[in-house]
Amino acid sequence: MIRVRDLEKCYAPARPVLKGLRFAIEAGEVFGIVGRSGAGKSTLLRCFNGLETYQGGSVEVMGRQVKDLDSAGLKALRQDMGMIFQHFSLMSRKNVYENVAFPLHIWHTPKDRAHGRVMELLELVGLTEKKEERIQNLSGGQKQRVGIARALALNPKVLLCDEATSALDPDTTVTILDLLLDINRRLGITIVVVTHQMEVVRRICGRVLLLDGGRNVALGGVEDLFLAPPLGLEKFVEQEFTFVPGGTNIRLMFPRSISQQAVITTMARDLGVGFSIVGGRLDRYRDDVLGFLIINVADQDLDAVLGYMREKHLHWKVLP
Amino acid sequence: MIGELFRATLETLYMVSLSTFFSLVLGFGLAVVLIMTAPGGLRPNPGLYRALDATVNLLRSFPFMILMIALIPVTSFIVGMAIGSTAAIVPLTVAATPFMARLVEGSFLEVDPDVVEAARSFGASDSQIIFRVLLTEALPSIVLNTAVLAIALLGYSAMAGAIGGGGLGAFAYNYGYLRFRTEMMFYAVVLLIVIVQAIQTGGNILYRRLR
Repeated sequence: MIRVRDLEKCYAPARPVLKGLRFAIEAGEVFGIVGRSGAGKSTLLRCFNGLETYQGGSVEVMGRQVKDLDSAGLKALRQDMGMIFQHFSLMSRKNVYENVAFPLHIWHTPKDRAHGRVMELLELVGLTEKKEERIQNLSGGQKQRVGIARALALNPKVLLCDEATSALDPDTTVTILDLLLDINRRLGITIVVVTHQMEVVRRICGRVLLLDGGRNVALGGVEDLFLAPPLGLEKFVEQEFTFVPGGTNIRLMFPRSISQQAVITTMARDLGVGFSIVGGRLDRYRDDVLGFLIINVADQDLDAVLGYMREKHLHWKVLP
Repeated sequence: MIGELFRATLETLYMVSLSTFFSLVLGFGLAVVLIMTAPGGLRPNPGLYRALDATVNLLRSFPFMILMIALIPVTSFIVGMAIGSTAAIVPLTVAATPFMARLVEGSFLEVDPDVVEAARSFGASDSQIIFRVLLTEALPSIVLNTAVLAIALLGYSAMAGAIGGGGLGAFAYNYGYLRFRTEMMFYAVVLLIVIVQAIQTGGNILYRRLR
């Protein structure tokens, strides 16, 4: 769907933004681009639909080289790619209906066809009742629903989401993410999300690219990244926890195969040793529960515990 | 005498409305070029932008009186004569166009750039962005600015009276000042106040309806 090869982008020769990126996004997946602010995520996203230019390498979207497109070609490409924004970017003087209809008017869709499409979209995002409402009277979540409906108006094959839930409260974030996942599954639209929220990655992404300073730090399935986080992602995965002084801290990860089993209690019973749980997190990941626990093992029990974990093929890591 | 006052009022309305219209059209066009060629605009062109920017500032720094006299040959060329209400419209428009261009440019700059980006993201062309995004979003603010412009032109039109433009300004000067008919000056000033109030109130009502 989107193939990026050796992408280089800089605002000035001395200020590179994206360095040597190389990855591909497959049709139908939900792909995350993660990183701290200033990592180049949003810039990368805008290279896909030509809102940003790039200096080196290639970005191939649906078989088209973005760099080589003339203005008509770019227009056609953008018809196939919807985009939603952090601050919704809706037109304040148009109501809900008119905002959703706007891309259709831009593309000169006949009135009756446009009307049918808008009503369909409002139904999809659950705003049929609010179609006459002015944008300023909507909540943040409703505004983003309008944004999603507008982005889908032209039947795009790809939906680009730029920090789409960053301005929303946690509960609204969840409903918007569920809507996006639903759109991905029901309509088969490829979704690319740019985010700094781990919540978003866990809930909807299949694979993620982690960016830091414009470089690829990690690329892979969300589950793999959670189970064995590379250095950069560790900070994301591990939230604050208190270390118990003395002993050794071990992080135990729970992939989908064993997360439901009482690993900790079984191990304690089998080995006859005690250990304290000093931190951890269990989260819903797409349809599963996924997470980690950090246990503190006394030094004399360490070998036994490590042997046990090796034997049972658990995912673990001794923390420094 | 009352007939005279009535005619002066009509002359003033004629000068102000036509020069407002022309400077709105020309100023809007100029503002579009400024906003498009500005750094970070839709078609950045630093050379053209700087040239236009400087020209606008230059025209705005002329005192209206001087501009009016300097433009006499141009006025004669365009309307065939250099005095009268119709002739006054030329210097009024030339003086007001750069002013209006700045006001409209300001209205455009108030539009959230993210909304423009969103329009680009679903394939809007430059002209669609100008007329269907920027103009639509900035319209209430442009309406208010047009009221500001019309009131400024009302003041200028009184000066235009000095070179034979007629209107309430000339009436007040000729009767009130030169012939010591103070009550005539008073009537003229009251009428000017009423016109200013009407323009501003009309602008405000339209603004509230559009917003």
